[in-house]
Amino acid sequence: MQIAEHSDRYVEVQGLVKLFGNDIAVNEISFSIPRGKFLTLLGPSGCGKTTTLMSIAGLHGIDAGTIRVGGVTYTSKAEGIFLPPEKRDIGMVFQSYAIWPHMTVMENVAYPLEIRKVAPDEIQVRVAEVLRLVSLTEMASKPATQISGGQQQRVALARAIVSRPRLLLFDEPLSNLDLKLREQMRVKLKRIQHEVGITSIYVTHDQAEALVMSDEIIVMNKGRIEQKGSPHDIYARPVNAYVSNFIGVANLLTGRVVQVIAPGRGEVELMEGATPVRLPCLLGEQMKAGQQAVVSVRPESVQVSRDGGAGGRIEGEVVQVIFLGNCVDCRVRWGSFEWKVLAHPRAGLHKGEKVYLRLDPERTLAVQP
Amino acid sequence: MSVQTISTVVTDAPLSSRWRSLVTQESVATLIVSVIVAGAVLLPLFTLIISSFQVLDAGGFDTTWGLDNYRALFTDRIIPKAFVNTLLISAGSTVLATLLGVSLAWINARTNCPWRDRLEPYNLIPFFLSPFVGAIAWHNLAAPNIGLINVWARDYLGVSGHLINVDNIYGVIWVTGIFFSPLVYLFVVGSLRRMDPALEDSSRTAGAGLLRTTLTVTLPLVAPGILSGAIIVFVTSAGEFGVPFKLSAPYGWETLTTQIFSKAVGDDANHYLGATMSMALGAITAFFIYVQQRYIAPRSFTTVTGKGFRPNVVDLGRWKWVAFGYNITFVLIAVALPIFCLLLVSLHPVWQGRIIPSAMTFHNYEKTLFFWRADSIKAATNGISNSFILAFAGATIAMVLSLVVSHMIHRSKGFGARLLDFLCVVPIGFPGIVLAMGVLVTYIKTPIYATLWIILLGYITRFFPYGQRNVSAVMLAISAELDQSSRLAGASWFTTLRRITIPLLKPGIFAGWVLLFIIFLRELSISIILYTSGTETLSVGVYYLVNFENEALTAALSIAQTVVLLLCVIIFRRVAGREALTA
Repeated sequence: MQIAEHSDRYVEVQGLVKLFGNDIAVNEISFSIPRGKFLTLLGPSGCGKTTTLMSIAGLHGIDAGTIRVGGVTYTSKAEGIFLPPEKRDIGMVFQSYAIWPHMTVMENVAYPLEIRKVAPDEIQVRVAEVLRLVSLTEMASKPATQISGGQQQRVALARAIVSRPRLLLFDEPLSNLDLKLREQMRVKLKRIQHEVGITSIYVTHDQAEALVMSDEIIVMNKGRIEQKGSPHDIYARPVNAYVSNFIGVANLLTGRVVQVIAPGRGEVELMEGATPVRLPCLLGEQMKAGQQAVVSVRPESVQVSRDGGAGGRIEGEVVQVIFLGNCVDCRVRWGSFEWKVLAHPRAGLHKGEKVYLRLDPERTLAVQP
Repeated sequence: MSVQTISTVVTDAPLSSRWRSLVTQESVATLIVSVIVAGAVLLPLFTLIISSFQVLDAGGFDTTWGLDNYRALFTDRIIPKAFVNTLLISAGSTVLATLLGVSLAWINARTNCPWRDRLEPYNLIPFFLSPFVGAIAWHNLAAPNIGLINVWARDYLGVSGHLINVDNIYGVIWVTGIFFSPLVYLFVVGSLRRMDPALEDSSRTAGAGLLRTTLTVTLPLVAPGILSGAIIVFVTSAGEFGVPFKLSAPYGWETLTTQIFSKAVGDDANHYLGATMSMALGAITAFFIYVQQRYIAPRSFTTVTGKGFRPNVVDLGRWKWVAFGYNITFVLIAVALPIFCLLLVSLHPVWQGRIIPSAMTFHNYEKTLFFWRADSIKAATNGISNSFILAFAGATIAMVLSLVVSHMIHRSKGFGARLLDFLCVVPIGFPGIVLAMGVLVTYIKTPIYATLWIILLGYITRFFPYGQRNVSAVMLAISAELDQSSRLAGASWFTTLRRITIPLLKPGIFAGWVLLFIIFLRELSISIILYTSGTETLSVGVYYLVNFENEALTAALSIAQTVVLLLCVIIFRRVAGREALTA
């Protein structure tokens, strides 16, 4: 038990399969989370991320696999174990917040402690403490229906953490808030999670949310894991075109690996655009010479200049300039391909201008299609 | 991975521990309730089918298997006529109730008729009162000889003979049509109110006039609601016992229900033939309800988006006073006039068609209500106490059942959820008198026969779906995540039910309870089959007075029942609001 509690495999999901009728919602996925870390399951709707979360919560059974948390087996199809949700010691924040409308804020937050038969005066202390943590002290005696969406969201968080559970689960908790509040809550939520130190799993389809909050991100697609890694890795070294496209914005061009120069480095030939171009680049895992590839370049990694100096082999025409305040979003037509480029406002680009694009080999990535 | 490997993993689980994981509070409760509901609903219908093939011999003791009962449906002296009369009455009532219901709903939902908000509750009152009492009232108003209207017509207008006569199948159509018009009203007013006004506005902007828009957009969108209401009226009229028993059967127009009744009780009782007639009636009603549930009800949801809309209102100009007059007239004829007439009749020692103020007395109320008096009529006083016991116990048990069943259908969704969903519709497909025949033949040889228990069983089986719908409607509006978060907070299934689910459903549960209380308090067609001396109900008491005492005593008990029902309606409106009734 002790070993499991402190290992890197505090949460361990193995071979999880969940079917809905004949549809495979989650297709044999495995992952683990170290204690105290914040993991995000990221993907479009229908990718199986919420199903995975519900399986961990025990809100439905699974069709194969094992789920263990802190050395306790929650669900094991092979051993025939299914711990009901109330025995799992989990705190969960739902998308709808699920604040009970017939109770006050304080009663909502005190509920998990009452169920655990904590002494009344200790409940008082702990509820007050957790309400202070989410800055809702003065709302304590209000009916739950008379507070705003953002406040309900914090009540839900307070209720989830008040019993200091083994694990915190978040099901798209910020998706019902407006943009400004959402951005504030990202930071606040992450800080609170860090303070209480409870291992957390967070489900979202918002890549910005995932990048800001997570220690680790799992990108899911069609019931499978596409990539698991730190936010930086996922952004800078996506393993394939799907991840690259889902996280942030990228120029994705079809191409072919010409040669491997060193491990992880090579040369790629673009098969799209005005003229065939060969570029030095980083190679994704298992990329070999002659292989089809997708070349991924982030818009901020493309340099624009008016003179065709060394390396400026991509010559295009500016077709659109969108001013975004701190930068300029340009579209540059290059034969059949249109580049997305983030340029500095002082570059003073105009529509119709001829420009040259330069790609940094360290930020040009050839991955599996 | 392939599905094959999944299935091998699944079957690897040791059997004993899989069994253990199945035994939870939830699954045990589900199993028990499923068995109870399935038994209560299916057993009577099953026995009914079997009994319908048992033929009573000439001696009236032994039975043989055969189709003679079914043959009798066509060859009997009375049954074929009763069949035709039932269809005529149902068709006529449906037309009348639909005309009344749709026009009143449109006036209330879509016109600037004055005081329409105030009128609405009065339009719905017939829904809560007893049609049997309505028939008694109309007999006293418009019977050829003693009917008040005819007496006045002779006295003041010089009419010879009579002006109108309700002692025939037209009278039955008149009374059932009026009493069941709220069923259509409720179906239609909901879709008229919740229809997105943009649907009509876009037709108007496309160049269609008001009339054209009403005919091409509004009416087709409301059509499923109208059709649903019409079918429910048809089925309810076909199963109505009290009205034809009072108005048409004594004058030679028997119906299937009055015939079933005479085969279930009385000297020439033949339960098996009664069962066969019940089968015939039940086959018709079940078919219509199946069509309504399967094809029409799902379509009526397409006009309802759930958003709160402010529906378009038609300015009737001066015609709004005509609409107002029409609505007021309906309320006067459907509610005020019959109650007023009964009140008059009840105050006379003997009713002879004349108001005699000097002779007025409360004697009839004393005889029917004062159970402690030696000269009180036991069938009436027993009926009152029994009905309150049955209504209170029945509504309570049915709502507990409704709660668990709704929870299983909408929350657990485990095994049995679909079966339960189906079982909750089945009783709606069968008139009370049919289900009561099933209950009678099933339990006649058990100790619960001739007790209140068998009536309670009949009531709950037939009417718990009404309560279940009330609970389900609220449950669907409440997110399942509210329950789930309680489970995750560490509460067991039962604790969650007690502390989260039930408190949230309280308004729905209470509204359903009052509705069932009202239904049970006026119930006749189940009680009339299952009662025996000592287990009379309120409506059976009225029946007894109709049969063995005079009109004045009957009127007194009828007024007593009506007053109690009206009080319940006021309570119901307080707790439920006006949307709670929309079926």
